[in-house]
Amino acid sequence: MVGLSLGEKHFIQGGIDQNLRSDGRKRDTYRPISVETGVIPQANGSARIRIGATEVIASVKAELGRPNALQPDKGKVSIFVDCSPVAEPMFEGRGGEELSTELSVALQRCLLGGKSGAGAGIDLSSLIVAEGKICWDLYIDGLVISSDGNLLDALGAAIKAALSNTGIPRVQVAAGASGDEQPEVDISDEEFMQFDTSGIPVIVTLTKVGRHYIVDATSEEESQMSSAVSVSINRKGHICGLSKRGSAGLDPSVISDMISVARHISEQLINKLDSEISAAEADEDEM
Amino acid sequence: MAAQGGAAPSTYTPTPTKKTQRSPFFSDSDVDWLRPDGRGFHQCRPAFFRTGAVNSAAGSAYAEFGNTKVIVSVFGPRESKKAMVYSDVGRLNCNVSYTTFANPARGLGSDNKEFSSMLHKALEGAIMLETFPKTTVDVFALVLESGGSDLPVVISCASLALADAGIMMYDLVAGVSVSCLGRNLIIDPILEEESFQDGSMMITCMPSRYEVTQLTITGEWSTAKLNEAMQLCLDACSKLDKIMRACLEEAASASQD
Repeated sequence: MVGLSLGEKHFIQGGIDQNLRSDGRKRDTYRPISVETGVIPQANGSARIRIGATEVIASVKAELGRPNALQPDKGKVSIFVDCSPVAEPMFEGRGGEELSTELSVALQRCLLGGKSGAGAGIDLSSLIVAEGKICWDLYIDGLVISSDGNLLDALGAAIKAALSNTGIPRVQVAAGASGDEQPEVDISDEEFMQFDTSGIPVIVTLTKVGRHYIVDATSEEESQMSSAVSVSINRKGHICGLSKRGSAGLDPSVISDMISVARHISEQLINKLDSEISAAEADEDEM
Repeated sequence: MAAQGGAAPSTYTPTPTKKTQRSPFFSDSDVDWLRPDGRGFHQCRPAFFRTGAVNSAAGSAYAEFGNTKVIVSVFGPRESKKAMVYSDVGRLNCNVSYTTFANPARGLGSDNKEFSSMLHKALEGAIMLETFPKTTVDVFALVLESGGSDLPVVISCASLALADAGIMMYDLVAGVSVSCLGRNLIIDPILEEESFQDGSMMITCMPSRYEVTQLTITGEWSTAKLNEAMQLCLDACSKLDKIMRACLEEAASASQD
């Protein structure tokens, strides 16, 4: 945890009140974001995102599995986050477990949509190989390497980048299998399908310090927050998920205001991320 | 005694919004269905609360919303474990678990980590933690039967149990959830409806202070729908609060007699 003196606390709070934060940013400015894709050759897709001193890696692995009996026409996606003690000593042992669960749940809520699969950033029906029999299971793993606040936004962005980097092998299903028999498959190692990642939302966390809210808070600023609202928003401006952290209660009108501010910020963030991702992909192709 | 608090209303259905019924876009679409238990879309299940369900606990409460049955007991404030560092505010420890027979298929009856942390986040803003420094309050919730909208019921019931234990709070916390099915918003969904929902929203709030302590949204929502759902939840929360208060008043006057 961050130990701050009274003077430092006042400095942070006073800076936010005057729209000039400790590192010279305004309340609605992000730290520089850098994206690198294809960092893990073992995975189907991966990305590393750096926002200031926060650094996370996301990897996507695809395995063939059986679809859920209730939803035979949909693949499965699961998201896990690991907070490594590399980032902070307090993550050691069971210390990081609470934060990991909180982040995983928040990401699942923000990216996977409702129970019926509606509103999901990832089109689950595109993961199906043979209806009711074979589908792709996507395992999305996030790893926190260095933590300096705003982990959720960074992980959300890393997952978006990793998914656009993901290639899933094309699968040929052998004809002739009938009834309950599991058909034989032939996994191509040359042809890959790409995901349509335009529908994947970005996550914008607004941290409330005093009377104002800021984006992309550092851990020092997060230690001064009263509450934080993470909103995931897609390109259409629709809300795809929301979660709240911090103990203090919020007036409903403040929440509505925060949502509209987040929507405004998300437009810039989506464009920024998309250009960073395509630049990163171009870099990777050159190498 | 009963006359003073008035007969407790047993349902907390929000008042219909002023807006007139939207005309259906497609006459043959899913506008025409009924909910499995015959309720209207904006009609809640009858809510029942009773405090003092567990004798050995400092405070406890039992809640029954349709088939959702929950029991919550509160222990403490008691000394924090030695391993914990000194803290000049109290700690809140929350745990939500399911019985093995809570679901139609026999489960493992394990702890629900996600719900435990949600319960913690929903309650901590309402409790005056500075009134019991160096100590811990334990809130244990057990879902006897899961019938949908489990988490909001657990949260409401837990705040009642905390009040019963005499823990200082700013206000009671009432929780309500809304599911989005197609174009319709249905309040207080049951298990069946939850498994087909396109999106859901849960609000827990302190109705007298009009502050939201916890809010979660899943699925895709437009702004108009979001606002409608929020209003629906907040209205239902304030009604639920009245039922909870009536239950506390009843318990208090019963102990005086």
